[in-house]
Amino acid sequence: MKNFKTLVKDLAPKKFGKFDIIWTCFLVLIIIIGIVAYIDQLIKGQEVTNMRDYALWGIYISNFVFFVATSFVGSVTVAILRLTNNEWRTPLVRIAEIISVAAIVMAGITIMIDMARPDRLLNLFIHARLQSPITWDVFIIPTYILISLLLLYFPLIPDFAILKKYFKKKDPKLSKWYGKLSLNWTGSIAQKAIQTKSIRIIAIMIIPVGLLLQTIDAWLFSTTYRIGWDSTNFAPYFISGALVAGIGALVSVIYVVRKHKKLEYYITDFHFDKLGKLLVLACLTYLYFNINEYLIPAFTSKKGESIHLDTLFTGAYAPLFWSVTIIGLIFPIIILLFKKGRKPLPMFIVGLVVVVGSWWKRFVIVTPTLLHPFLPIQGVPESWHHYFPSLHEWLITVATLAMALLIITLLVRYLPVIPIQRTADELGLSENKIKNTES
Amino acid sequence: MKNQLKFRFIFLALVGAFLLSTSFQNLHAQDVKKNKVRLKADYVKIMDGFSYLKISAGSKIKKQNTKVSNIELNIYNVLDDEKIKIGNVMTNMKGESKFIFKNLNKIKPDSTSTYNILISFKGNDSFKKATKRISFKNANIEAKLIKKDSINYITATLTDASSNKPITDESLDIQVQRLFRPLKIGEEFNNTDQDGTIIVPIEKGIPGIDGILTLEVVLNDNDDYGTVKTLIKAPLGTTIDDESTFNDRTLWSPRSKTPIFLLIFANLIIFGIWAIIIYLILNLLKISKSKI
Repeated sequence: MKNFKTLVKDLAPKKFGKFDIIWTCFLVLIIIIGIVAYIDQLIKGQEVTNMRDYALWGIYISNFVFFVATSFVGSVTVAILRLTNNEWRTPLVRIAEIISVAAIVMAGITIMIDMARPDRLLNLFIHARLQSPITWDVFIIPTYILISLLLLYFPLIPDFAILKKYFKKKDPKLSKWYGKLSLNWTGSIAQKAIQTKSIRIIAIMIIPVGLLLQTIDAWLFSTTYRIGWDSTNFAPYFISGALVAGIGALVSVIYVVRKHKKLEYYITDFHFDKLGKLLVLACLTYLYFNINEYLIPAFTSKKGESIHLDTLFTGAYAPLFWSVTIIGLIFPIIILLFKKGRKPLPMFIVGLVVVVGSWWKRFVIVTPTLLHPFLPIQGVPESWHHYFPSLHEWLITVATLAMALLIITLLVRYLPVIPIQRTADELGLSENKIKNTES
Repeated sequence: MKNQLKFRFIFLALVGAFLLSTSFQNLHAQDVKKNKVRLKADYVKIMDGFSYLKISAGSKIKKQNTKVSNIELNIYNVLDDEKIKIGNVMTNMKGESKFIFKNLNKIKPDSTSTYNILISFKGNDSFKKATKRISFKNANIEAKLIKKDSINYITATLTDASSNKPITDESLDIQVQRLFRPLKIGEEFNNTDQDGTIIVPIEKGIPGIDGILTLEVVLNDNDDYGTVKTLIKAPLGTTIDDESTFNDRTLWSPRSKTPIFLLIFANLIIFGIWAIIIYLILNLLKISKSKI
């Protein structure tokens, strides 16, 4: 049986070990290489990419869509599980919130990378045309970043107060920082009332905002009247896909954090089993929308759409299309339907497969459609009819993924990955006996 | 000695041949450089409008018909042996130009009431000089709409402007103005009678914006009178609605024409969410201040 002290000791952030430093340096190195490639792209222009008149959206946009999808995990695990009174969420929510923040921040950065002239970013606000889904995207992303930060921050306030005390002697400098972030938290009734109310508001608000974000992301495509995108199914298709990507990422990160921080006592097989069930539900929903998205056009398609579908089913993109569908979606469903498949290690492998599958799935959504416009462009070089990212695009994209992992790594380093106060309350270990049940 | 003479002779012959060929080459080169310009001109008169000459300049260069652009053409009124300059024009990139007669009365016709115009190009480094003479008489067309036995007609009278006498047995075209090319109505040939008049029924069901048809009566490319055209607006068409949404507030219009519903709902959502965000940030301040 744990007492409050041991609980805080278990859950308080710990200094970087040797492995952590190597891992962080590795990520920083990848980011530096990416920044160099990006500076070169800024100097030479987007000529350094393989995007041309046909594939005018490439790997950057598919990467952006992946980040947006992954950020949905915050809405799902925190808000939905909270509103449905699923108590098992407690040790998982903080990591979900961290992933959410990292993913949505990187989505914002990635979309700027895709802009040939990022110095004109302000024009998107000054000359905003409210009919355009791009404008909605410009508004929703900063909004979601802020809500995700608030969702992460509010439940952290009591934990910061605990950490302030805990590090007072061990690391006064860090303790000072935690003190500032704790906003003079004493756990008073008034403070708890405001915090509880605020968290409830965010938990409710983040669901429609999260759905809006995914929907706008889908509408960016479905309002363009292009083969493969012109679909009323697209918004729910994207939302269900976001569930898969988000929960997949959550499972993978939780496994690594649990193992690395030795949190087996707090994050148990039971939690993985529950997450597994949630992931299989998400995968099944996504599979359903995939069938809708591809089967019905297979029946009703006209010439242009048939060419597009042939490219996916049997043509150049068939290996990728079937890989992301079978390996990235159907196999995880089969594995997760069995209890043994929902154990931590199989879940981790499934989570990784799902995340990789989700990333490539966005590539399959974005690229083949662009290569089959209604009006083929005349007189362009043969190479423009195909698209595979250039070295610059790969380096920059990998750097954005590394940046997301770095944000997660740093937040995991300095924040308690499991809510201390709430866990203590649930275990009845609080120093003061007033229960704080919000997180 | 004999050989020396032979060499001298050969040397002089070669030099002579060289000089001769050079001088011929020069002559030949000048011939190649200068091309012949062909001028074409048509006289067009729009009733209640203006009269003009439609001029085009072309040349056959390397067996290919080429438009001659950017050349200056002088326009003269020819009266007996006298040439009076009345203006000049430049050809455009298509080798075409339009010379508008600001006032036809200022140009003098000859004794047969014929106007004689000379178009002259004085030549340049690339083209030889060229002229084109065009003669025409002045004619008028008067058109009006009449209704007989519930049928609408257009009637037009063609007269010689100088003598005011009707011009008989000339075919007039009746056509409705359309976007790309006019729509002919009536018989293929509508010849003027002894009064210089034609009468043509206007078919029902021809569509026009607000039901207005713009009818044209045209004496087309006549040998004596050139082209004479009169326009008359007739409220006899079937009304068509302008389906353009250019001025409407639509989802595809510019930002100044954003649909009202979108302005209201999008702004409500944006300001609603941000109001809550501001409230939450203020709550952070409240937490910071309420220690007890």
